[in-house]
Amino acid sequence: MLLNPLTLHLPKTPLEAARLYKELEDSKVLAGGTFLLNSMKLLKTKGTKTARNILSLAHVDGLKGVSFQGDTLTIKAMTRINELFESPLPDGHLKILHAVCRNISTNPIRNMATVGGNLTCRYTWTEMGAVMIALDAKMHFLGPDGKEEIMAPEDFFKNAARSEKLFTHVTIKTGQAARTAYRRVKKTIHVDIPLLAICVKTEIKGKKWYNTRVGINNGVAFAQRDPILEEFLNNSSSSANLGEEALEHLTKTIYDTRSTDYKQHMFRISLKSAIEELCHSRESGNP
Amino acid sequence: MNVNLTINKKQHTLNLKGNETLLEVLRDHLSLTGTKTACQETECGTCTVMIKGKAVLSCITLAANIQGEEITTIEGLAQGDVLHPVQQAFIDYGSVQCGFCIPGMIMSSVALLEKNPKPTQEEIEYALDGNICRCAGYPKIFEAIHEAGKNIVSKGSIASKS
Repeated sequence: MLLNPLTLHLPKTPLEAARLYKELEDSKVLAGGTFLLNSMKLLKTKGTKTARNILSLAHVDGLKGVSFQGDTLTIKAMTRINELFESPLPDGHLKILHAVCRNISTNPIRNMATVGGNLTCRYTWTEMGAVMIALDAKMHFLGPDGKEEIMAPEDFFKNAARSEKLFTHVTIKTGQAARTAYRRVKKTIHVDIPLLAICVKTEIKGKKWYNTRVGINNGVAFAQRDPILEEFLNNSSSSANLGEEALEHLTKTIYDTRSTDYKQHMFRISLKSAIEELCHSRESGNP
Repeated sequence: MNVNLTINKKQHTLNLKGNETLLEVLRDHLSLTGTKTACQETECGTCTVMIKGKAVLSCITLAANIQGEEITTIEGLAQGDVLHPVQQAFIDYGSVQCGFCIPGMIMSSVALLEKNPKPTQEEIEYALDGNICRCAGYPKIFEAIHEAGKNIVSKGSIASKS
């Protein structure tokens, strides 16, 4: 057997799943399984104990799909990465979600991995966190008492991506006059170990930048905002030099963490090009 | 626990442990050894099968977690003695070198062509980015997929669906 013995729990409703999530000891949640089962196999080969109880969300009603209601986009936790990639999204800043999905791992993984798993697997490499922070998304959790809790992704990640409640879906406002740019760097073109992910969202009126949010995943810590860069950009206007100038206004601890020279270099040129793309999109009249 | 699986259009009721992967069930319980075991850590794609028409990795799929699903393996593509257009094209174009990756390559190709029988080169590479060929025989594989797509379009159907 590739895996240690386990008990598979198959709840049918979100509330049943939320209760089991609270009650089960020595347990892990199984969404797409691409990270969890792989790591459990690896731990078994090392002789390390793995979770005895696996709480599968595969058969829970109402945890799948992408939908719009008014000006809100809802992505359910068990939506597969490729399902999100193939879902129609309105023109504008939310299209960035397609670019993010396209960059995740390989096709069979994208067919299996879920948005919820990507956000909550407590793996610092994952791609969605920085983007959800930049998009000002809201994460929704369900408690065993049926009460919903809503949390900003940056707060969730500040808490080391831990919650005692079950993550059910994420919502994002669609109606913002915002623009987004996304960059992700892999270790090599063939080795899908993300070194970093950067997402910048802003609104530009005239040339002035407003409501800028920068989500950064440095691959070492959980995804986070860069407050110093956001403040600088919110006091700036589009210009040919903005990308270069922005590099002097970074929250250095985010970018310097255990970084190699290569990684720091990639961080800087990725950030610079993302900011330049946003400047260019405005000046060229692109939507 | 008893698990019902439909594999290659045949129903199976299997008594499985919670920790058994679909790969282990296919090979060890059902002797469907066309699905290959290699890296077992999602890197190589040799264990690719189709679930509900999508290419997935059987090495990280818990069999008990896909109760009631329809699964297609490489053994389920041919119709009697008539190979699936993708299988036939792989032969016609000499796409097989050592052959170990081929079942996974074919399953990913079939999943692609069922959705999009006229894929661009970029779409083929995107769909097959999880299947690694250690012989580096990609050009012939890509040629075969283009040809299989043409054959599927000209015949107006896909063997696995007929």
